[in-house]
Amino acid sequence: MAFPHRPDAPELPDFSMLKRLARDQLIYLLEQLPGKKDLFIEADLMSPLDRIANVSILKQHEVDKLYKVENKPALSSSEQLCFLVRPRIKNMRYIANLVNADKLAGRTRKYKVIFSPQKFYACEMVLEEEGIYGDVSCDEWAFSLLPLDVDLLSMELPEFFRDYFLEGDQRWINTVAQALHLLSTLYGSFPNCYGIGRCAKMSYELWRKLEEEEDGETKGRRPEIGHIFLLDRDMDFVTALCSQVVYEGLVDDTFRIKCGSVDFGPEVTSSDKSLKVLLNAEDKVFNEIRNEHFSNVFGFLSQKARNLQAQYDRRRGMDIKQMKNFVSQELKGLKQEHRLLSLHIGACESIMKKKTKQDFQELIKTEHALLEGFNIRESTSYIEEHIDRQVSPIESLRLMCLLSITENGLIPKDYRSLKTQYLQSYGPEHLLTFSNLRRAGLLTEQAPGDTLTAVESKVSKLVTDKAAGKITDAFSSLAKRSNFRAISKKLNLIPRVDGEYDLKVPRDMAYVFSGAYVPLSCRIIEQVLERRSWQGLDEVVRLLNCSEFAFTDMTKDDRASSESLRLILVVFLGGCTFSEISALRFLGREKGYRFIFLTTAVTNSARLMEAMSEVKA
Amino acid sequence: MTWLWLKESQKADEYLREIQELGQLTQAVQQCIEAAGHEHQPDMQKSLLRVGLEGRAGQGWELSLLLSGSSQAASFGKCFLDRFPPDSFVCMCQDLRVLNAVRDYHIGIPLTYSQYKQLTIQVLLDRLVLRRLYPLAIQICEYLRLPEVQGVSRILAHWACYKVQQKDVSDEDVARAINQKLGDTPGVSYSDIAARAYGCGRTELAIKLLEYEPRSGEQVPLLLKMKRSKLALSKAIESGDTDLVFTVLLHLKNELNRGDFFMTLRNQPMALSLYRQFCKHQELETLKDLYNQDDNHQELGSFHIRASYATEERIEGRVAALQTAADAFYKAKNEFAAKATEDQMRLLRLQRRLEDELGGQFLDLSLHDTVTTLILGGHNKRAEQLARDFRIPDKRLWWLKLTALADLEDWEELEKFSKSKKSPIGYLPFVEICMKQHNKYEAKKYASRVGPEQKVKALLLVGDVAQAADVAIEHRNEAELSLVLSHCTGATDGATADKIQRARAQAQKK
Repeated sequence: MAFPHRPDAPELPDFSMLKRLARDQLIYLLEQLPGKKDLFIEADLMSPLDRIANVSILKQHEVDKLYKVENKPALSSSEQLCFLVRPRIKNMRYIANLVNADKLAGRTRKYKVIFSPQKFYACEMVLEEEGIYGDVSCDEWAFSLLPLDVDLLSMELPEFFRDYFLEGDQRWINTVAQALHLLSTLYGSFPNCYGIGRCAKMSYELWRKLEEEEDGETKGRRPEIGHIFLLDRDMDFVTALCSQVVYEGLVDDTFRIKCGSVDFGPEVTSSDKSLKVLLNAEDKVFNEIRNEHFSNVFGFLSQKARNLQAQYDRRRGMDIKQMKNFVSQELKGLKQEHRLLSLHIGACESIMKKKTKQDFQELIKTEHALLEGFNIRESTSYIEEHIDRQVSPIESLRLMCLLSITENGLIPKDYRSLKTQYLQSYGPEHLLTFSNLRRAGLLTEQAPGDTLTAVESKVSKLVTDKAAGKITDAFSSLAKRSNFRAISKKLNLIPRVDGEYDLKVPRDMAYVFSGAYVPLSCRIIEQVLERRSWQGLDEVVRLLNCSEFAFTDMTKDDRASSESLRLILVVFLGGCTFSEISALRFLGREKGYRFIFLTTAVTNSARLMEAMSEVKA
Repeated sequence: MTWLWLKESQKADEYLREIQELGQLTQAVQQCIEAAGHEHQPDMQKSLLRVGLEGRAGQGWELSLLLSGSSQAASFGKCFLDRFPPDSFVCMCQDLRVLNAVRDYHIGIPLTYSQYKQLTIQVLLDRLVLRRLYPLAIQICEYLRLPEVQGVSRILAHWACYKVQQKDVSDEDVARAINQKLGDTPGVSYSDIAARAYGCGRTELAIKLLEYEPRSGEQVPLLLKMKRSKLALSKAIESGDTDLVFTVLLHLKNELNRGDFFMTLRNQPMALSLYRQFCKHQELETLKDLYNQDDNHQELGSFHIRASYATEERIEGRVAALQTAADAFYKAKNEFAAKATEDQMRLLRLQRRLEDELGGQFLDLSLHDTVTTLILGGHNKRAEQLARDFRIPDKRLWWLKLTALADLEDWEELEKFSKSKKSPIGYLPFVEICMKQHNKYEAKKYASRVGPEQKVKALLLVGDVAQAADVAIEHRNEAELSLVLSHCTGATDGATADKIQRARAQAQKK
């Protein structure tokens, strides 16, 4: 059916400006090193860079050869080397080795390091310690927002999740604040701000500070986006841990969408080579199925195929003139559509094949049981079998975490036995994985008499204030209780359905999980937007154990057009999933809003688990 | 002519008209205005200006307003000249007012107009500031409507810098006085004033003044300079700028001895995690010390575990690292981790032995994979021994053997195994795995042994739709019936499908 937008849906701002800005800045930086140069690019930056400036643009600005930053000696013969990297210590050492090797060989070259999105003092420190600080020049490429789609901006910082939620490292918060500042400079400041979570609050405060320091410039602008909603990933792990069944999410789970494009292997393209396909609103076929429940996709695609055939068939009985018209105008479009259609049909088949092999139905059934909280024993033994059979280390881990969060921690016996099984199956280094998961609150043990007292929640509230920062470490293990069941009841996350849930004509956001569960994160956003505040949600906030905030600037609110007040920027700190995006797109259509998504990175359950896993190098 | 006019001589008018006819009136007026500038006597200035004013559009009131320092009111005259641009007149009035003010004997800066223009207002203000004539300087700024940052704020800042040098006033009073005057005037940098205070040796005052500085980033460098590193650290943390925190940390690291440095970190979790991250990549040993200092045995254990596979290479080193880890886990009261680590030590040694005795690759396999490898290599005895030693649960062992034997396609051994005792995982997995290896013949053997609950599924797997239908009908299970029906394909299973439909109809009748 493909959801059409409501006729009164507000127009989205044009985010391609962000790309142009980033490109111009990069070109400026490259020009700072005149003459031919070789460019070393960090692997993680390659795809984002490709979306901003392709090779021919780089060549125009005298980039000679491109190298990947990896642990191999570079064979560049250029007199000028330019490094485009994330601010990581590992990279600094790589550069230092290269420069020091040159020094030993008595060779002098020019080196320039461009940090994206910003440089950190620690990196400069390492350069200094390695004795090459004077030999290189450092610059920043403040490229922090990549528009992946018309309504999706990504910071492409997958490490944000681990850095902040596991290591407690706050260095990216500044980057987030800068990005928000950039948005408000370009698109007017936001009249209404809401947020939940510690990170959200810190980002918000830092952002405010930036605005205050530079006030005056933005004041005059009419706000284009009426609301901004910031939320921490750790307030809702459940949604991110569920198997995705909406097409775009499923494609991500199965093939991994990277930076807005996906590599379809030979099994999809039905040829002998892989194909890189850009997945966004410009792909007409994809755009119609991306938010659909998978069970509808096949039907839709075959209908589409029939229509296409009919359009092709029209050429029979055409006279020459009509035929000429057809070939010159329609044929190309039809061919394009045909190509896309066969790709997506191929993808569907491949997904089906993979899923039936893994007994997907059984898996989904277990997940739903966990969400609803029945047959816990059965689910536990299912997980145990999953581990014993070595089905997949990441999947097993995911199920364990889902069990833990929905049940407020595992009972001690299961906690021990599942962990033992897991170590036996997948290796002892995962002892560290478990320690990580515990720290992040993803996989914990129920302590006796384990209910959240009012005092505890008060403490955790205090902790969000700067002064009480001292107890954070203690807090992280103390207050990470999920209370999922209670929240689910309060917010009615498990819809009661009489009979079959009609996935073709969804009634609520639960459709993204086959009607079994409304994503918690999206529900919270819905509730707050409805009230335009957190009023009446105190109990939920307490259970979530996060602190919330809301801020409305009346002067700006008055100036905002009614259209812009229906535009909402949702900022996911720590990543969001395609299911969440689909759910909110659905909500938008129902209520006449349009959502814009800003995420530190698009994530899914596997990425979350991998971020927490220890792997042998 | 001026004089004549001033004396209300009749001739004045005549001269005036003459000048006007010559078309030089504009020039004449301009000259009058300039002449006023070079005049030192206010009375004379006024007269000249008045003439100039006469030439303008009769807006004499401006004069009184602009030169409001004097008591004489300006007289109004006729308008002789239209549209004479007022700027030069206004500027002159302002300049004269400023000049007259500084020429006052209380101030005593007898500047000529030319000197003043040469000097510029900024320099004049600086001179006033140097003479500590702050109020006058501020009045001038306000009068000339200079932008705050260049004008009033700058002077206030100078004033504050002077103020902090008054040694006879207490820190408390000075800080308060300064804050009262300055408030949050834009462009005033409290940190600059504080720096001055520190320069005069008034550290306490400097700290007090820094409290008024709204930008934490500005506070930190001075605090560091004043050796108030701990305060600097908390300010840096407050700013939310991790780079700033890091700057302070490295400062602290050099300044304090290791113990004190760690203690400081201990109270600042944000800084601690930042430093830990740095150490993880750059100074592993320091990281260990950090955990030691904190008695953080859990993390210490993890540290050694990581070392056991990341840094140590020889087997002895690895086992030793694991032993240290296990000890740490015991101290952390994490028995589970300690036991798991000890198991791993045993496994490592054993894997080493296996490699020596059997050849092949065993090191670093998980327990499960070790046993699988043994079975695949045909070392069934050893595999069983290992399973017993490490108390591998039955279920796992069965899954493991089943998979391994099927991979080997050792159907004979598999059958023997399946009969060794009652399967703890049922027999459906046997059917499944045989079908996966496309061995329908073997699969059928096990299908008959599958328990009633999964029988239908098993029969369908081996493709025996008819029998599956019989079982489902016997079970009177609706779900099973539908499942079988969905497997009925076209002509071949037509009869079966009919049978099911009949059974369904019958069930409904009842």
